[in-house]
Amino acid sequence: MKKLFSYKNKVLAGGLLIALSTVFSCKKLIEIPVNPPTQITRQQVFADSSTTITAVAGVYSFTPGGSGLPYKDGMLTISTALSAHEVIGGYGDQAQFYSYTVTPINGEVSSLWQAPYSEIYQVNDVLAGITNNSNLSPAFVKQITGEMKFVRAFCYFNMVNLFGGVPLVTTTDYRTNTQLPQASVDAVYTQILADLDDAVKKLPVTYPSSGHMRANLYTAVALQAKVHLYQEKWPSAYTEADSVIKSGLYDITTTPLSDVFLDGSAEAIWQVPILDKYQGSGEGSSFTPYSSNQIPTFIVTDSLLNQFEPGDLRMANWLGVNVVNGQNFYYPAKYKDPYPTSPATDYMLLRLGEMYLIRAEAAAQLDNLVGALADVNTIRERAGLGPSTADATSKAAVLAAVRKERRTELCFEFGNRWFDLNRTANNTKYPASGQASAVLTGWKPDFALYPLPQAQLQLNSHLIQNPGYH
Amino acid sequence: MYKIYSEHFVLPPGFTKKLLLFMKLTTLMLFLAFMQVSASTLAQKVTLSERNSSLTTVFEQIRNQTGYDFAYTTTTIQAAKPVTISVKNMELAEVLKKIFDDQPLDYKIDYKSVEVSQKEPSFLEGLKDKAAKFLALPAHIRGKVIDSLGQPLSGASVFLISKEPPYTYGVFTDNTGEFDFPNISQNHYTLTVTYVGYSKLEKTIQVNSKDILLRLVMHNSPSALDQIQVIGYGKESKRFSVGSVYSVGADAIEKQPVTNPLLALEGQVPGLSVIAMNGVPGSTTLVQLRGQNSLATDRLSFKPYDQPYFIVDGVPFAPQNVNVSQLSNLANGQSFSGGLDQAMGIGAFNNINPNDIESITILKDADATAIYGTKGAHGVILITTKKGKAGKTTVDINANNQVNAVARPIKLLNTQQYLQLRREAFAQDTLTPSSDPGDYVSFAPDLKIFDQNKYTNWQKIIQGNSTHNTDIHGSVSGGNGSNTFIVSGGYTRSDYNYPGSFSDQRYTLHSALTTVSANKKFDLTLITDYAYDQNNSAGGYGNGVLLPPNYPDLVDGNGKLVWNYKNVPIYTNFYAGLLQTTTLQSYNFNSSLNLNYEIVKNLKIGASMGFSRNTGTEHSIDPSTAQNPSYVNIQAAFANNATQNINIDPQINYNKTIGKGELTALLGGTYEKSTSDFYQAQAYGYSNDAFLNSINGASSLSPYDVAGLTKYVAIFGRLKYVYDQKYIIEFSGRRDGSSNFGPGNQFGSFGSLGAGWIFSEESAFKNALPFISYGKLSGSYGTTGSDASEGYKFQALYSAFPYGNTTPFQGIKQNIPINLYNPDFKWATKKSINVALDFGFFNNRLFLNATYYRDREGDQLVEYPLAAQAGFPTVYENQPADVQNKGLEFTLKSTNVKSNDFTWTSTFNISFNRNKLLAFPGLESSSYANQYVIGQPTTVVFGYRYKGINPTTGLFEYYKADGSVTSSPDYRPASQGGDAVVIGNRETNFMGGFGNNFNYKQFSFYVFCQFSSGTQPNALSALYGNNYPGFASNIPAYVLGKYWTGPGDTHATLQRLGSSYNSPYVGSPYYFAQSSGAYTNDTYLRIKTVALSYALPDAWVQKVNIKNASIFVNAQNLFTITNYKFGDPEQPGNFTNFPLQRIIAFGLNLKF
Repeated sequence: MKKLFSYKNKVLAGGLLIALSTVFSCKKLIEIPVNPPTQITRQQVFADSSTTITAVAGVYSFTPGGSGLPYKDGMLTISTALSAHEVIGGYGDQAQFYSYTVTPINGEVSSLWQAPYSEIYQVNDVLAGITNNSNLSPAFVKQITGEMKFVRAFCYFNMVNLFGGVPLVTTTDYRTNTQLPQASVDAVYTQILADLDDAVKKLPVTYPSSGHMRANLYTAVALQAKVHLYQEKWPSAYTEADSVIKSGLYDITTTPLSDVFLDGSAEAIWQVPILDKYQGSGEGSSFTPYSSNQIPTFIVTDSLLNQFEPGDLRMANWLGVNVVNGQNFYYPAKYKDPYPTSPATDYMLLRLGEMYLIRAEAAAQLDNLVGALADVNTIRERAGLGPSTADATSKAAVLAAVRKERRTELCFEFGNRWFDLNRTANNTKYPASGQASAVLTGWKPDFALYPLPQAQLQLNSHLIQNPGYH
Repeated sequence: MYKIYSEHFVLPPGFTKKLLLFMKLTTLMLFLAFMQVSASTLAQKVTLSERNSSLTTVFEQIRNQTGYDFAYTTTTIQAAKPVTISVKNMELAEVLKKIFDDQPLDYKIDYKSVEVSQKEPSFLEGLKDKAAKFLALPAHIRGKVIDSLGQPLSGASVFLISKEPPYTYGVFTDNTGEFDFPNISQNHYTLTVTYVGYSKLEKTIQVNSKDILLRLVMHNSPSALDQIQVIGYGKESKRFSVGSVYSVGADAIEKQPVTNPLLALEGQVPGLSVIAMNGVPGSTTLVQLRGQNSLATDRLSFKPYDQPYFIVDGVPFAPQNVNVSQLSNLANGQSFSGGLDQAMGIGAFNNINPNDIESITILKDADATAIYGTKGAHGVILITTKKGKAGKTTVDINANNQVNAVARPIKLLNTQQYLQLRREAFAQDTLTPSSDPGDYVSFAPDLKIFDQNKYTNWQKIIQGNSTHNTDIHGSVSGGNGSNTFIVSGGYTRSDYNYPGSFSDQRYTLHSALTTVSANKKFDLTLITDYAYDQNNSAGGYGNGVLLPPNYPDLVDGNGKLVWNYKNVPIYTNFYAGLLQTTTLQSYNFNSSLNLNYEIVKNLKIGASMGFSRNTGTEHSIDPSTAQNPSYVNIQAAFANNATQNINIDPQINYNKTIGKGELTALLGGTYEKSTSDFYQAQAYGYSNDAFLNSINGASSLSPYDVAGLTKYVAIFGRLKYVYDQKYIIEFSGRRDGSSNFGPGNQFGSFGSLGAGWIFSEESAFKNALPFISYGKLSGSYGTTGSDASEGYKFQALYSAFPYGNTTPFQGIKQNIPINLYNPDFKWATKKSINVALDFGFFNNRLFLNATYYRDREGDQLVEYPLAAQAGFPTVYENQPADVQNKGLEFTLKSTNVKSNDFTWTSTFNISFNRNKLLAFPGLESSSYANQYVIGQPTTVVFGYRYKGINPTTGLFEYYKADGSVTSSPDYRPASQGGDAVVIGNRETNFMGGFGNNFNYKQFSFYVFCQFSSGTQPNALSALYGNNYPGFASNIPAYVLGKYWTGPGDTHATLQRLGSSYNSPYVGSPYYFAQSSGAYTNDTYLRIKTVALSYALPDAWVQKVNIKNASIFVNAQNLFTITNYKFGDPEQPGNFTNFPLQRIIAFGLNLKF
């Protein structure tokens, strides 16, 4: 038998083996560029202020995954307007809000819960990215920190009013965050106020960019006023609303009612652009009927319509009407056009009108009934109505007048009416006649809070379902 | 009927009967096999007319006429005399007698070959031999091994073994097929020659001092046992395989009129589940081997689907069986609630023409897949396309026309039944139907405004059509011994069984070239596949079939869509979808080049290089004609995608005989680069429908793009040693690196050890049980891995705002985080044990395989679901869970009857898989706390134990955890004080298939049945999960007579009706969908394929110069026996899906 390997062949084979193994043990073969072609790394984002600001812009765009706060799909407005019996109608899961049959698998509830947490993650990631970052100037870090904390406070404010105590996430550490239990309502409010305090300390009076899109000092103060009102801290609420009104930055008289929700509205304290350049706002596309001869999907209830006095210009400007078979069907029309308009419609998250009504309510609770009515009348005057006929000597009557004005002024506006009903329910500080149990058929105290989404309870066994949904 | 979960192997009631039927059938097949209807060899006639021709010339003549080979050595026939013979149509035996009569030669007929030897030596020669023998001089034995075409077989192993004294000599033939034993001492030897794919050649040789020159002819093995099967980076004979490998050949594939080759595997392979997502032409399929090994990811209630690694001609193809369409079409959004979470659309495998496939091999255990390392954890499917065969150039044309219809239509209510049910629903809700649209609760246009006598069978309009499909495939192939070629083209048109003119059209071009150098040292194979697929589809499918039967016409006399009927708005018009068309053009290019060179004897170096590129262009439109005229928004979407894969796999192969055994070794490496690019643009604001084909015609665009990149590198090896044709040991290993992991986690090592014992080769066994012709015990243990992640996910990434039509915020383009940061995830590891017992009975007429396996996947790499508060719904993370899948697989193949005119063969397979979560430290505090139970299958379902209908309230009732009864159970798990307990296990209890193939003269008949049994959501779950009975929506007629009619109704099996979402009784159905009442045993036996063909008599076809012609009828999904109530049991939990189709194909096959 011939010798299998000659010396020459051994060398050849050995060389081949070595060549193969050096080639394939090399890590270089699986080296890839630092970032994928269409994405960048977090380090690249926080490398300087010009890239950091793109992440800040991401926070203000509020629509991670398509439905962040303020709910591109209009869901916060729609679900709370249904729950508050401002409107009736809707499809599928939406109908459950009106009838208080919301289940833990309601899809809308699921997005109401999830969207703000995506937003909060972005805020926390920006805060983590700018803290102790030597690439950024201290002034820039201070400004952005203030803005981010304001946004976080805003998110938690909505969360605590929709769901009660919720898990309080202030970092990006997912291992800890995913299993956090609910914090108490008090703890959530403490966090909101701590964030707002810090924001007030850090934010300047002037807006950091054009319009009223990014937070300045008064947006934080305005939210403080709202939070303190809900917490029944009347003096604080009064002072804060008062300081916003007196700041001179905002004006309720110059912008006509028809333009209040448009870009550049003089009464806007905080509005964010509707960035869906084709479909406009979720509210606009959900509420506006397809055609003028159709019954709207969401119809304004008689109980709300009855609150509008004859001649109330808000009815003509903020409500639309379709006549079908001779019958009037009103629908919400603050956000009118499902298409973007020029000037564009913006989401109005805080506005001066609400500050007047906060100051009015706080004043009334502080027994400054004349002052309260004066603020109510400021609002009424713009709506083309005469002064309130409420008895200026009756605290109950003045509070009722404030409540009625809040109903007509702040209808279908990011949950205001629903939150009002809940915070004043069974509260002896408010006249009983207008309380939830009296005005909402089928309402029970447990229904003031929405259920936690069932999927979330499955994912986090530390969460406890809100009462009434077992 | 529903089934309470049990962890034992309990057969569902009612199935026993069917199982018995299978058993009876099996027994029958066995019985027939025992009968041994034996075949008589064909009498061979020979016609010869030779004058003074050489013996070799005469042999050649006979070989050409009869196929009989002649084995001789040149020295043997040196002394032969010239031959003169003239015979006509004489029996071969007589002819041979005549030829050898006058020759100094002897001959012996041995299975299709004639061995020629010298007659007893002459006295002188004998003396010389005797002297040599006396002196015990060693002899020189040389020889050449050829196949029946006379081509040398290189690499055949040749052994000379003597008993006493025990000598073993072993060599491999060289590239000219020759072998050489220089010094063989005198003795009595057994010479064996083995070569993959050929019958073993064995003869005894008496070696004295005389040199021997042998000419050995090997024959293709008629036995499945010796046929070549493709394995990872190589080929092997089934006989010596120790891995779990199963092949499906072209014969089983081509009988099925399916366009997706994966569908042809349904029921064919033990342990392999194939699910057709829907009946849309070209849609994706799901494939899974031996159960689900990974924990759920992403969405909790759904499991991801572990799919095998696919390789086409050595080129990785369609990782995870991805879909190639991005935009919505009828194949999208067709999720049946089978609990699977898989993107749907048009599948990549739609680009492969089943007619071009030679075989599909499924590698199951670690022995077979460890060489693929991290790709192999969930099995490997190797698709081998057809190559040319040496011989006369052949043209093969196959054309067929198909008729499709819904495989298992459901019956819905007619107008009268529907309206009656609606009225009852209102009555039960104590409401009065109202024509006042302002009356939100009672507004019922179908009862008060729509025509009460109109009847439209929407189901018939939408699903009730039948379509004609066309499939044409032609190939030209041929070649000589060292070069072969094939070129084949195919055209397939599948029409959608849907209103409108929609179709999937596929054009394929396949070619393969093989060449071997003259010195046989170098060989090359080049395979190229090109496919173009055009899929025209309608937009969203919707639930059109469920429109009320008295719904107004949706199209007016002018062909315009109707949006309003007597002031009742029609929000969605089914016909709009027909105008919102989507077109997908998919281009697939798959090419592989394989080179080998023998640098020294037994050592080959080579390389495989593959390139595949699948690109797609999509376009969908929403024209004004499809829209409500008061809200027109003309838009379109454009999408492109390209996925590309390049792989280079250098290899070294080495063979050596060591002692009585042969060693084969493989060392190789691989480098692979996969890229993907997706681009999509929504285009808005068209002024006119005519512009819709142009992206430029839009007034605004919102683009989106994403690209992926992964690189792999690996070194792998395999050592196999077969000793004495009896004992086999095999080792394979791979070190794998992937760019999908962060620093420190990129590399992993995997390997396996397999062993086999062919006990039937032991003489004691042979003597004791001679009817067992083959028996093998084999087993393996090994590890494989899974890198179920995506590129770059170990980094925290930001992306430019990726969603929808979002404008920049104040001129600043937004960036948002897109994932959570976890740099630490690493390979998941699977450990597998496989033990198999193979038997061949009665000369391998009957084969039986029984396989036991146990797989355990740990370090589970999952897209771990997180509570929303974490900011993202998932993160890539390893979980310390161990998931076990173990099971049994049985295969039976038999040739029941084999005679000249009639043959009957059968196959049967059944497999049982059992899944279990073995361990999961910290399960209670994980996101899976309410989904899995340690010690139970990962397919368990949590929910409420269903009781029935409360005769008083008419509501569904459930058991609470404490045993009491309620209509509104607490959804929390029992461990947390609620009522949700484990109510079922959705794993498949058993599945399999059996086929019979009959050939009688010119007729061939094949019937294949597929069966499966498991617990699945029943059709009621879909009924109550969606629009529940009584709503303004049509429902299956099944509900009639079953719902509760009033207090005291104790016979009802469905709860009281509800008129709408405002019904006071809508609460309890929500619980129903999560109760044991919504699950049922889903067992079916489906006559999957029936194929009948008739070969036209040769006398007819030869007149028109055709070699072969046959006509055939093939049918798919012909008939189903099931306990499933309504809807298709293959699409459980849904009855509005695009239904699976029954296909009947009529065709013609011609060979020139």
